[in-house]
Amino acid sequence: MNTIAQRYAEAGVGSIFLYTNEAHPGEFYPHHTSMDQKLRHGVALRDVLGVSRSILVDSLDGACHRAYGSMPNMTWIFNQAGTPLYKSDWSDSHSVDNAVQYFLQVLDRRRNRERMVPFRVERLDYRIQDQQQFYAGLERSGPKAVSEFRDAFG
Amino acid sequence: MTDDLLTRYNYDEFVPAKFEPWMRFDQSPPLGSKAPDFPLWALDGGETSLSAVWSANIYTIVEFGSFT
Repeated sequence: MNTIAQRYAEAGVGSIFLYTNEAHPGEFYPHHTSMDQKLRHGVALRDVLGVSRSILVDSLDGACHRAYGSMPNMTWIFNQAGTPLYKSDWSDSHSVDNAVQYFLQVLDRRRNRERMVPFRVERLDYRIQDQQQFYAGLERSGPKAVSEFRDAFG
Repeated sequence: MTDDLLTRYNYDEFVPAKFEPWMRFDQSPPLGSKAPDFPLWALDGGETSLSAVWSANIYTIVEFGSFT
């Protein structure tokens, strides 16, 4: 996702990481109890995980996250008027890349005076399932996060 | 904002009874309609908003997430 942010920045596509609640609280990154702590975790996202996009932090009660469906790692794409054009219940760089390319093509087509109206489409996309990387993330949070995930999903 | 909401949203353990009630993507805002705006904070604590972000770009990608 960092790569996509860089790839399309010059085309006027912005990209942020919105920090929510800890999906798998552990000993090292426990559940949030204060805004100061949440901001510190946000800094660690940048410094430890290497998130190079702008990181913004939701309120402690997750008002934004909850309003948008509370999924742990979803992606939304908005136009400049604040209309969501794309939403996915999980983040996948291939899917986002594909969507951004399409929306940039729409701008080109408008410049070429094509007359278009929006319509809705549903599509089932596919994401990479990397268990090794996922468990490495849990371990970063702490042993508690690992054991709780194993207990929940085996 | 109630303590109960803060505690439930910032659940302290990953067990279905605590995380499943929050997974409500089917109730999220629809595509094509103006989306709700919310205050957000930069890492230095400075306040901004989701609308300030989306209005600054032709398109804006927003990835929601956490450490894990």
